[in-house]
Amino acid sequence: MTFSIFLRIIKGMAPISNEPDLLALILENKGIILKICHLYCPDKHAREDLTQEIIYQLWRSAKNYKREYRFSTWMYRVALNVAISFYREGKRGKNALPLSPFHLEIEDDPADDAVHNQRLAWLQGCIRELKEFDRAVILLYFEEKSYKEIAEVLGLSETNVATKISRIKERLRQCILNH
Amino acid sequence: MDDVELGELWKQYNQKIERADILNLQSWVLHLQTFEYLQTEKVRSRLNAVSRWKKWMIALGLLWVFFLVFLIVHSMAWSKVFFVVSLAAILGFNIYAIIVYIYHTVLISEIDNSESLIDVQEKTARLKASTLQATRILFLQAPFYATFTWNFQWMRESPGSFWLIAFPVALLLAIGAVWLYRNIHPRNSDKKWFKLLFSGREWTSVIKALDYLKEIDEYKKGQ
Repeated sequence: MTFSIFLRIIKGMAPISNEPDLLALILENKGIILKICHLYCPDKHAREDLTQEIIYQLWRSAKNYKREYRFSTWMYRVALNVAISFYREGKRGKNALPLSPFHLEIEDDPADDAVHNQRLAWLQGCIRELKEFDRAVILLYFEEKSYKEIAEVLGLSETNVATKISRIKERLRQCILNH
Repeated sequence: MDDVELGELWKQYNQKIERADILNLQSWVLHLQTFEYLQTEKVRSRLNAVSRWKKWMIALGLLWVFFLVFLIVHSMAWSKVFFVVSLAAILGFNIYAIIVYIYHTVLISEIDNSESLIDVQEKTARLKASTLQATRILFLQAPFYATFTWNFQWMRESPGSFWLIAFPVALLLAIGAVWLYRNIHPRNSDKKWFKLLFSGREWTSVIKALDYLKEIDEYKKGQ
C-alpha cells in the first residue's frame, strides 16, 4: 500500500502533505541507510551528518524515481551516491577516527561474547579497507541482490560485477583470516 | 572461511548495527517530517560548494565584462585601434568563460543521485575538473594584455623598442598561451609543470577530481 502512495507522490498526484508517506517508505527501508552510513563513515558525528544528507537527498530525488526499479534499488543508488560523494569530500570524521580500522565502534551488546565481537570488528575493518565502489558491490552482494541488480546500481556490466565480486570476496577472506 | 560463513557474519554485523542506530535514524526521519531540517544550513549538497564558487566567478566575470565594455565604448577612435581590439578580444574570452561557468552551474543543479553510481560519480568529478576548461580558455587572452599598449605613433617613433621588446613579448605570450591551451588537459595532470601551475589550495579539489576520473575509468575497465 505504501508503495502505491509513493508512486502517487512521484507522479505529482499527491499534494505536499503526503510527503510523510515517502518518509514512511524510507523508514521501512531504514536498514539500507544504516548499513551504508556504517560502511562509509567511521565517525559517529560525521555519520549523523551523512544520515541526514542521505534522507534529504532521498526526499529531493523522489521526483526522479522510475517505476522500472524496485524502491530499495532506487534507495541504494541514491544513498550510495551520497555516501561515496561524502566520503570523497573527506567528511568522514576527521576529528574522531577510531584507534584502528578494526575497532568496532558500535556499542558492545553484553549478550555477545568477546570473540564474536572481534570477528564482527574484523569484518567491518576489512570492508572499510576496500575502495568505495568495491564496498558498494560487496554490500549489495551480501544483501543478496542479483548480479543484474548490482550491475544496474553500479552502472557496470554483469560480467564485470561477477569478476569484481569474486575478487573482493577473496580479499575479504584473506583479510579476515590474517587477523 | 567459505561464502556461507562470510554471509552469516555479515548478517550478524547488520543486526548489531540496527540495534545500535535504529532510534537515532527514526528521530532524524521524524525531524525531516517537520520540514525544519530543510531550512537548516547543515543541509547542503556536496556539490553546492562547487556551484557557489562558480557563481562567484560568474559575478566577478560579469563585473569585469561591464568594465571592459565601458572602456571599449569610450575609446572608439582609430588612434586607439590596438587598445580597442585587444580589449575586445579579452572581452570575448571572458564572455566565453562566463557562459561555460553558467552551463556548469546548470549541470550541477541537474545531477541526479538516482542514476548509477559510476555515472553520477563520473559526472560530478568531470564537473569539478571542468574548471580547467575555463582556465585554459582564459590563458588565451594573455597576449592581448601585451598588445593593448601598442599604437602607430610608438611604431613610427621608436621602432627599436617596439620590434625588439613589445612585439617579442606579445609573441612569446601568444606562443605560451597556445601551448598552455593545448596542454592543460587531464592527461597531463601527472606532469611536474602541471602540478606547479595548479598547486594552490583552490585547485586541490580539481586535481582530486582528475585523479578520481582516472580511478573511475580503471574501475570501469575492471582493473
